[in-house]
Amino acid sequence: MGGFNLHIPDGYLGPATWIVFYAVMIPIWYLAFKSASHKLGPKSVPLLAFLSALSFMVMMFNLPIPDGTTAHIVGAVIIAVLLGPYAATIGLTIALLIQALLFGDGGITAFAANCFNMGVVMPFVGIFIYTAIRVRMGATTRSRVVASMLAAYFGLVTAATMAGFEFGIQPYIAPGYAPYGLDVAIPAMLLTHLLVGIVEAVATGAVVYYVSEHRPDILGLPKLAPRWMEKMLKEDIPVRELGGEPSGEISADG
Amino acid sequence: MKTQKMPRKWLYLLIALIILSPIGILLVWNYGDAWGEWGEVGDWIPKSFWNAPFPDYLSGFESQLAASIGYIISAIIGVVAIILVTYGIGILIANREKKKQSTK
Repeated sequence: MGGFNLHIPDGYLGPATWIVFYAVMIPIWYLAFKSASHKLGPKSVPLLAFLSALSFMVMMFNLPIPDGTTAHIVGAVIIAVLLGPYAATIGLTIALLIQALLFGDGGITAFAANCFNMGVVMPFVGIFIYTAIRVRMGATTRSRVVASMLAAYFGLVTAATMAGFEFGIQPYIAPGYAPYGLDVAIPAMLLTHLLVGIVEAVATGAVVYYVSEHRPDILGLPKLAPRWMEKMLKEDIPVRELGGEPSGEISADG
Repeated sequence: MKTQKMPRKWLYLLIALIILSPIGILLVWNYGDAWGEWGEVGDWIPKSFWNAPFPDYLSGFESQLAASIGYIISAIIGVVAIILVTYGIGILIANREKKKQSTK
């Protein structure tokens, strides 16, 4: 029993694949932590700790899938929306590290690939969808909830398909590792997560609803993101919907 | 400014999820794990070299009660570890910034 679904175990990816993912993740980790060194302030640390722990917890809830397997949600888009996509990269890296080291959930060799799928693909796909929709719908709770739900759904589905692709190519390039071809791996991961994505969307929408209604100050925290995304993300500063006051008074650095 | 504490409400939500976590194994008790079904292709067994101290979140018991208790213990260990690591990173960053500012 274990939430292995999105967590690729050791022995599935051949060395060529998992080394490539370490090579891809090292610069991303560097950039994410560099962004954190500028933007992770005293107010953001408790939130990131909470959201990383929340992500760890939701991943423990294995959900039954009608085909007899199980899957779980991730929570990466919640972090991306509230603290920026690089914050999700850091949060998921921490959660996945603890899962791999302490609980054997997700491999050590596959660690970088898992971080890429859940900590990069999912939050970045999510934040693009979120921003695109939210900008069009305006700075309201409704807009944030709708945008975050769609972002979470497609973020999870893309991450799962990516994972399926990674072990699905193994039979062609690395005999002795995962024996399931793309024709098995991709449909299995995709179909499962088209279903689980609904739960991911509801959970994400609920957290974003709560924050938007009760803690709008959180939306004004600095976002950990690549430089070129900063302008795009800045627009989610809390707007006093009732009074229509300027939103600038909430200092970004706390 | 000092790194802030986590609001009580957030902690209560984490505690509630920890207590409810056995749902995550009981709902799928007779299911194969996500990869289990696929593992039966020929005689292929993935090679693993890492012996985790709390394998499968301590849920590998015959009894549902023992598995649930193991799962809750794992959830507590995981949540505490993640909060400590994240605060550790936050404190490292804050100290570095302080040093930078004091040398300016």
